[in-house]
Amino acid sequence: MTGKPKVLIVDDEERFRITLRKLLGVQGVEANTSGSAREALEELNNRPYDVVLLDVRMPEMSGIEALAEIKKTHRDLEVIILTGHASVDIAVEIMRLGGYEYLLKPCAMDELVAKIESAYERKVAREERRRKAQVSPSDLAS
Amino acid sequence: MAFRRAWFPYLIALLIAGLGVLLWIKAGPEFGLISLPVLCCAFLLTRKLVLQLAKANEQKLSLDRQLIQSQKLAAIGELSSGIAHEINNPLAIIGQEVEWMKHQAKDAGTGGGGNLAEFLDSLMEIGKQVDRCREITHKLLDFARKREPLIQTTDINKLVEDMVRLVEREAVKRKIKIDRDYQPDLPVVQTDAPQLRQVVLNLLINANAAIDAGGCITVATRVVDNGYVELSVSDTGCGIPEENRDKIFDPFFTTKPPGKGTGLGLSICHGIITKLDGRITVASEVGKGTTFAVRLPIGRRKGTTG
Repeated sequence: MTGKPKVLIVDDEERFRITLRKLLGVQGVEANTSGSAREALEELNNRPYDVVLLDVRMPEMSGIEALAEIKKTHRDLEVIILTGHASVDIAVEIMRLGGYEYLLKPCAMDELVAKIESAYERKVAREERRRKAQVSPSDLAS
Repeated sequence: MAFRRAWFPYLIALLIAGLGVLLWIKAGPEFGLISLPVLCCAFLLTRKLVLQLAKANEQKLSLDRQLIQSQKLAAIGELSSGIAHEINNPLAIIGQEVEWMKHQAKDAGTGGGGNLAEFLDSLMEIGKQVDRCREITHKLLDFARKREPLIQTTDINKLVEDMVRLVEREAVKRKIKIDRDYQPDLPVVQTDAPQLRQVVLNLLINANAAIDAGGCITVATRVVDNGYVELSVSDTGCGIPEENRDKIFDPFFTTKPPGKGTGLGLSICHGIITKLDGRITVASEVGKGTTFAVRLPIGRRKGTTG
């Protein structure tokens, strides 16, 4: 894997955020946390991230609404929905809005880390393709 | 019900026979002899009718029990997605704490020392999350368990508050406020608490569904007419049109789209409250909201054991 992904954990459960951050740290994944969707949107404007782990049911703004907002302003960010609320409708909506993956809590750490890494690889590959596409016309000109 | 009792047709037969004897004396033996076959037919027909009524009544009681059970399941279904969320979250935290403890143990095993304070902190957190799960499952069990009716001394304020808390989790997420207006020192009531819980929960779920975000539900309790406790659930929703008000307690009447509502909720509530010697009424104004009021006698019901 090229480098390590920068992850933002968004969840209204404080203990969940704290321990997940520590566990990802052990795996070499750098993570920060936000306690609400609004806080996360602000954080994403302040610092660069590769992957967002997003809860669905949060007060004020749901994870689904947050996903739509994130995709408007940070198209390349990969979003993994991590929620205790299982619903086919929600899963379909997440995929429609451009979410990368939908994981049901509680999920195994290995599985979560694997999903974060594959999401990060997809982001890096997409950025690489775009960079090449932008470079090619000038290369042709020279 | 009188016609459920085995001796009832024989009482009717005795009355008919008495009538025959009376006719014999008053109108003479000829008339009495003519009336004998008529009276026999009347006896047989009455007996058949009474037995059919008894059978129909048994079927109705059985259907009532099935409806109450299916309504419990429907209400649980509505809450199940919320409950799954409420339980999966603590489970996720427990899973993470276990992972973290494994790291600490592994670290200690390899001479890294580990961190006993963090290890103990994780254990404490697991305990907390288990308590959280237990609270939810106990409330659910209390609600879902199929029980024989049991009349017991019931604190209505506590019972209502328990159900309000269950629904409040959902309501808060939709920015719906629940106001409490409980009369302090409300007398205890002799009633079937689990069945009454089901009624209150149904009324709260209905109120929650009837209002948009930003609305308000008011739950109140009070003593009325010296001898009755009244609990009411009011919402600031769309109200019930006048033409539907007479039908809302009818089984299978629903204004929800197909598959979204069973139309059983209020009819079951009505059935339960009637069995508990109470009364359920509705007052509604289109565009302003609806109030459901349940009135229960404070004293012990006739022929019941506590």
